[in-house]
Amino acid sequence: MSARRRTGGRARPATARPATARPGAGRAGAGPPGAGRAGAGRVGVATRDVARRVRQALARVPTAAWLCALVACVNAVSWSLVTPPFQVPDEQAHFAYVEELARTQRLPSSSTQDYAPDEVLALEELEVGRVSFQPEHGTIASRAQQRKLARDIARAVSAFGSSRGVGAAGDAASEPPLYYALEAIPYELGAGGGVLDQLALMRLLSAVFAGLTALFAFLFVREALPASRVSWTVAGLAVAVMPALGSISGAVNPEAMLCAVAAALFYCLARAFRRGLTRRGALAIGALTAVGFLTKLNFLGLAPGVALGLALLSGRMGREAGARHAVRVLAPGLALAASPVCVYVAINVLSHHHTLGFSSGALAATYKRSLAGEASYIWQLYLPRLPGMGVDFGDISPLRDLWFRGLVGEYGFEDTFLPRWVDTVAAVAVAAILALAARAAFVRARALARRAGELAVYAAMAVGLLVLVGASSYLSFPAEAAGFPEPRYVLPLVALLAAALALAVRGAGRRWGAAAGALIVVLFIAHDVFSQLQVIARYYG
Amino acid sequence: MRAAGIVLIAGLLALAAALVLVLSGSPAVLAGTNGIEPAARLAAVPGSGSGCQARETLPAHTTAIRLSLEASSGPRVAIAVRAPAAGTAGAGGTAGSAGAAAAVRAAGTAGAVGPIVARGQSAPGWLAKVVTVPLAPLDRAVRDVTVCFAFRGANERISFLGAPSARRVAASYSAGRPVGSPAGGAAGGLPGSPGGVRALPGRIAIEYLRAGSRSWWSLASSTARRMGLGRAWAGTWVAIAVACLMASAIAAGAWLIVRESR
Repeated sequence: MSARRRTGGRARPATARPATARPGAGRAGAGPPGAGRAGAGRVGVATRDVARRVRQALARVPTAAWLCALVACVNAVSWSLVTPPFQVPDEQAHFAYVEELARTQRLPSSSTQDYAPDEVLALEELEVGRVSFQPEHGTIASRAQQRKLARDIARAVSAFGSSRGVGAAGDAASEPPLYYALEAIPYELGAGGGVLDQLALMRLLSAVFAGLTALFAFLFVREALPASRVSWTVAGLAVAVMPALGSISGAVNPEAMLCAVAAALFYCLARAFRRGLTRRGALAIGALTAVGFLTKLNFLGLAPGVALGLALLSGRMGREAGARHAVRVLAPGLALAASPVCVYVAINVLSHHHTLGFSSGALAATYKRSLAGEASYIWQLYLPRLPGMGVDFGDISPLRDLWFRGLVGEYGFEDTFLPRWVDTVAAVAVAAILALAARAAFVRARALARRAGELAVYAAMAVGLLVLVGASSYLSFPAEAAGFPEPRYVLPLVALLAAALALAVRGAGRRWGAAAGALIVVLFIAHDVFSQLQVIARYYG
Repeated sequence: MRAAGIVLIAGLLALAAALVLVLSGSPAVLAGTNGIEPAARLAAVPGSGSGCQARETLPAHTTAIRLSLEASSGPRVAIAVRAPAAGTAGAGGTAGSAGAAAAVRAAGTAGAVGPIVARGQSAPGWLAKVVTVPLAPLDRAVRDVTVCFAFRGANERISFLGAPSARRVAASYSAGRPVGSPAGGAAGGLPGSPGGVRALPGRIAIEYLRAGSRSWWSLASSTARRMGLGRAWAGTWVAIAVACLMASAIAAGAWLIVRESR
């Protein structure tokens, strides 16, 4: 479908349309008496123009993409109901961050776990500490406990009133504020009902991000692999019902938003590589980069890949339309992308904090340790150990035991898992999918070689994120061999998984492609259904 | 399109059949416990280690033992359960793997001289505060057994969780090489204890699991009731909502695949 709209990858000069062609243009030089009205009119026209363009852009999104988004939303809402309150890693801290932001309009200043009194009350009555990490303990089981919980939370709401207590934000304190600021809306909407109402509404907002992730994964595949229409749907649906994404998007966790932002970035980059970089495209990439920086620190891992993408795209544009034009197109996007970092650094410097805030401490800790040791550790976290490397993970294979097994079936505090034989079944399915994808890549090797730059950008984004996760994990090594790495940290790369699935569909050939796609979707649905059942069995069985 | 439709229908039917099969099975239930709460960290051992705890009762039909160890990425853990001297020989006395052999040696060194009645081994990569080790079930309970475990190749500290107790009933442990291995105990040995074996300051929490007798179908209403507790809007509607949401997501996905493969 979109193949018909292909432009051959030529960048259209952003200034091709004359300024006077725009409604309202040319009034800028109005004299002082009418300047205010003219300015207001210009803003109004510009707003209407943007709204019209957004409507047009949304109308161009295929129905199938919207349906994938809807399925992802519904799946994440289901996960939000299946998962007990605060039984997802760090949800307590993320909730506390939102609470502090909403109550004080300030960023957290402490990373201790001294949460606000109403949250502590809920955590205690839900026996969160007793349930998490200990699969032998389920959630509260009696109506008497439920009545007491409801009564105490209601009492807390009326007792705290407007002078509600404020606590620290725990491990989340170092994170940037955008996701939490958005979550402050449902938090305030549920304020009359207390902590559990607020948490339920906040989880629903996270579920919306699951929808956006599936939507952009679909659109990314449509841009990156435009030839097979059914493969876009297979990829979008597989992402939509992916249990790891549903689990994290059914909870209060900025990872949900980061996944959506990363998928959108993959889409924008693919679009720019295919159709050429426009000023609007550069602005979109810049805005998404800024949003990513403001969403979660892990975005830092994706940023080098994005920078590489912009460099390659601007180089291509420079060769085609001249360096000056490339700079004009790129500059606003770059400025937008860098703005959050600049503002953050400026605020820290002016308030006499470390230049990079909480992150400075982590960086300083990294510098104190062996770089070679760190490189060896990061390598072994993902790949087989090479001769000459120290043994960092004992007899554990991180690729198999942490990443694969984690993505196949570990939920909650990774204390809820599918039976081990499922790993074997999953390994067979993954091998078949990889074989089909490899076949498709082999058949189209020449076409892929022509897109080496684009592929390098995606690889750089993936490697950047993996290295960041490894470096963060190294901070707690050797006290913990793998204290930080959790499969959810690689979820921002879910668009690449979608592309691999789409390739597998193509690898099955024209005759069997749709059937292979249907089988992949059924496998993902089955995985999701049994994962949710496992969570139900663990907490409520 | 036709092939996709057939695959989809066959796949969803297979999924439904698998669901019926799984829900007809019984969840593992607690067969017994030693009554110890895993409230205290009794010791933390780097690399390799082992331990033994006497005065345990292995309930009949035990299919797994939950041992309260803590790790961020735990190694393979082997367990050997040894009966008292005049006990019943069950699963034989030969070790099946290096880990199991270490657990067997640990059992021997700890003075548990009876035959081994059960043994098993966990998968590596476990996380959190318990490791579940599957066992071949016995058809009757064995009292006064010694539960021994061993692990090696961990590149972090593995903590033993339990509660303080009198020294005479406390568990024993060894850091470094598993107790009873040819080179003795911990690297360099532990002071004051032959072979590097020393007493823990308490007993480790252990639970015994067996297959339940009730199917998930018969537990459905109680599970649904429990799902509705601890929520903003409590009630059994939560379980019904989850079922409806998943059914609608599957239906939408199936319809979409059929539509797009035309």
